[in-house]
Amino acid sequence: MRLIALVLRRLLWMPPTLLGLTLIVFSVSHVIPSDPARVLAGENAPVEQVEALRRKYGLDRPLPEQFVRYVRDVVGGNMGVSLYTQRPVASDLVERLPATFELALFAIVLAVVVGLPLGVVSALKRNTWLDHAIRLVTITGLAMAAFWLAILLQLLFSMKLNLTPVQGRIDGWGPEPITGFYTVDAVIRGDWETLGSALRYLFLPMITLAIPAMATIVRFTRAGVLNVMNSNFVFYQAAMGLPRRVVIWKYILRAALIATLTQIGLVFGNLLAGAVVVETVYSWPGLGTYAYNSILQSDYNAIMGFTLFTGSVFIGMNLLVDVAQAVLDPRGR
Amino acid sequence: MSQGFEPVMGRRGVLAGGTALSLLPGVAAAAAARMRYITANNNPYDILDPHQVFDIGRIAIRLNMYDALVRWVDNPPKLEMWLAEKVDISADGQVYTFTLRSGVTFHDGTALTAEDVVWSMERILGLKKGAYGLFSDVVMPGSTKALDARTVRFSLNKPFAVFMAVLSELWVVNSKVVKGREKDGDWGAEWLTRNEAGSGGYRLKRFDPAIGFQCERFEGHFMPFPKGAVDDADFRVSMETATRVLGMIKGEFTTTDGYMPAEQVERMKASGNVWFKEAESIRTFYFIMNHNKAPMNDVNLRRALCCMFDYDGFNNNILGGTVVRNPGIIPNPMWGAPKDLKGYSYDIDKAKWYLAQVKDKLRPLQIGAMAGYPQSEQAAQMLQAGAAKAGLEIKVVAEPYTTIAPKLDDPDRAHDLVPLWRSAYFADPHNWTGYLFNSKNFKAGNASFYKNARVDELTEQALVVTDQEKRRPLYEEVSRILVDEAVGLFVNNTKFFGPYGKSVKSVRFCPIGDTQDIRWIEMNG
Repeated sequence: MRLIALVLRRLLWMPPTLLGLTLIVFSVSHVIPSDPARVLAGENAPVEQVEALRRKYGLDRPLPEQFVRYVRDVVGGNMGVSLYTQRPVASDLVERLPATFELALFAIVLAVVVGLPLGVVSALKRNTWLDHAIRLVTITGLAMAAFWLAILLQLLFSMKLNLTPVQGRIDGWGPEPITGFYTVDAVIRGDWETLGSALRYLFLPMITLAIPAMATIVRFTRAGVLNVMNSNFVFYQAAMGLPRRVVIWKYILRAALIATLTQIGLVFGNLLAGAVVVETVYSWPGLGTYAYNSILQSDYNAIMGFTLFTGSVFIGMNLLVDVAQAVLDPRGR
Repeated sequence: MSQGFEPVMGRRGVLAGGTALSLLPGVAAAAAARMRYITANNNPYDILDPHQVFDIGRIAIRLNMYDALVRWVDNPPKLEMWLAEKVDISADGQVYTFTLRSGVTFHDGTALTAEDVVWSMERILGLKKGAYGLFSDVVMPGSTKALDARTVRFSLNKPFAVFMAVLSELWVVNSKVVKGREKDGDWGAEWLTRNEAGSGGYRLKRFDPAIGFQCERFEGHFMPFPKGAVDDADFRVSMETATRVLGMIKGEFTTTDGYMPAEQVERMKASGNVWFKEAESIRTFYFIMNHNKAPMNDVNLRRALCCMFDYDGFNNNILGGTVVRNPGIIPNPMWGAPKDLKGYSYDIDKAKWYLAQVKDKLRPLQIGAMAGYPQSEQAAQMLQAGAAKAGLEIKVVAEPYTTIAPKLDDPDRAHDLVPLWRSAYFADPHNWTGYLFNSKNFKAGNASFYKNARVDELTEQALVVTDQEKRRPLYEEVSRILVDEAVGLFVNNTKFFGPYGKSVKSVRFCPIGDTQDIRWIEMNG
């Protein structure tokens, strides 16, 4: 019952949070002295052409009116039309979501699969050379700019070793979408050649995204395990004669995971929303490149749509994390 | 994802048919030999409608899937009859009567007629987008007439000598198809955004605005293709320069943009996998000067600025000779550019002398460099350094073009100087003079807010006379005035360094489109 109340409370907070986010992004994007109508019209466009475009897209209206109209439309399910693709922003986002979601999912799975055990090992071998080595790697992973890492990986895996393509999502144009996830679609069809191609193209962007995510997971897991290791219940389990392996992986890790789980949720939200640089470097046709182009072209509706989407993702991930925490840790209910 | 035409066979049917055909040895060999060409573009192909966009970044869509009455070819560009086979121009230069080629069809097989040309012009005027500004001043809605299926007449409301030149942007769409897709009087805009209805040398196969578009050769096109012509072409979006360069070196792309930084050109050359087509283009780089703000309205300050810029150091050292000095605004290879124009040279003493003649009190100037364009930022810094030597303070602000562009319409908000390029939208001196410096074009090209009665008179007179030889001296005089009055700081003309993979045998360069008109490309075996 308390869990349901928690979920309802969070859902009730969602609209005002999104409204606040919309107001901030709307203000910031409109404060920048940019004129999308002028840019859209082109260099030689006469004034009447620019003004016609301004009228068409409502850019000639006072800012408060533009904001109220926007919010009213969004509440009615309309995120507006992109100035550049000339399509509803919602359709653009939906079309690009599978590419980003697939990439983020692979990256987070890799980060968790590698990061969790490394975090545990690092804690168990605290202050040994192994711990220092893992910490060094994780700090490097966190500090390295995604742009630079991406180019290094391209140079190594694509150019030197010739193992992966430099950019793109698949050989040619990919299969007709069923789910939009190339790997899933390939499995559904039993098309192993397409699956192999999709995985080869996924490899580099996945690694680039996974390394900093993994570093975060390692650090939180390590801290969580160290914290739990000194708890009374752990001493009790050990005193009861349970094998060390069982104590670590069953009792310590479960308790330590609560903090890590929060981070995994936030990192996944970040991967979905913040893969702009990585997608741009790898020409990955997802939400990141859409956001990048929208910002370059001052495409207000697209920028707002992307921001609302990412805001919703973060709120949704926070909700899921809260629910998961409550399930794992009864004290939080 | 979207396709230009409804499939006539289901997916299984296509696969089965394909398998059966491939069992025939001749057919299999032919299929294997299809010439594929992949372009990496640094602009998104987010919209296919030829009448909604008028830019260089997406010109491949228009050049390859659509035809116009005339087309630019070669370098310096020549205007050739294309859909039209002849034109009659009235003595007053206001009535243009075109006779269309016979037997031209759209990709769906319907005949291209004069009605399609008329409707395409009306569509441009109605949409008020893309190339609208090229025609809106001289072609009134309803004034274009189809005299018969093959004859179309344009009646201009005043003489406009560049009308033939700008007609290269009147892309003819299949009016029957597009009219059938109209919604709420939108001229079929929503539909044509993601589909095509053209007659060009290539027809759309697939389109995904996140990836780009794919097209295949249209065998029914009226203009013969060269031997070894491209069969299938992919135009893909790849925003990051380093990625495009690596993609070229690795062979993932057949070509990419021809205006890369010098070090990237060297990197590709060193790989041995890429060859270059090198040609002087018609894309001048210059500083716009805002004449509206004192003391920028003082010719002595502007001349001083022109003497503070180290042209040789910038063009030959920083840019490694990938450009050529262009002393005026009209590119060197264009007619109308005086061959003996000297321009300014780097001379700090002379700059100091000019500065001393400035009447108004000097103030720190501001350059608005285009963020993300290294050449623009480097040029700004070079001028800043020269100015410092001459005792003038200059601040450099880097802003994205979307921020700079609207300021160029507002003399009070505009920066004192903005270093940028003037691209070739059509190959006529008017593109560089009338549009940029006639005072009628404030807020519509003339971002200098420069007003000179003689320049206005010359550029307007040059629009009335249709004979090129009579127009030439008019533009030459304009060029000289612009340099004498230091209206802008004219730096260089760009050289095109088009990178091509080894599969490409030859290309035919035209500065309008920079070889993106793939019908002229020949592939190896």
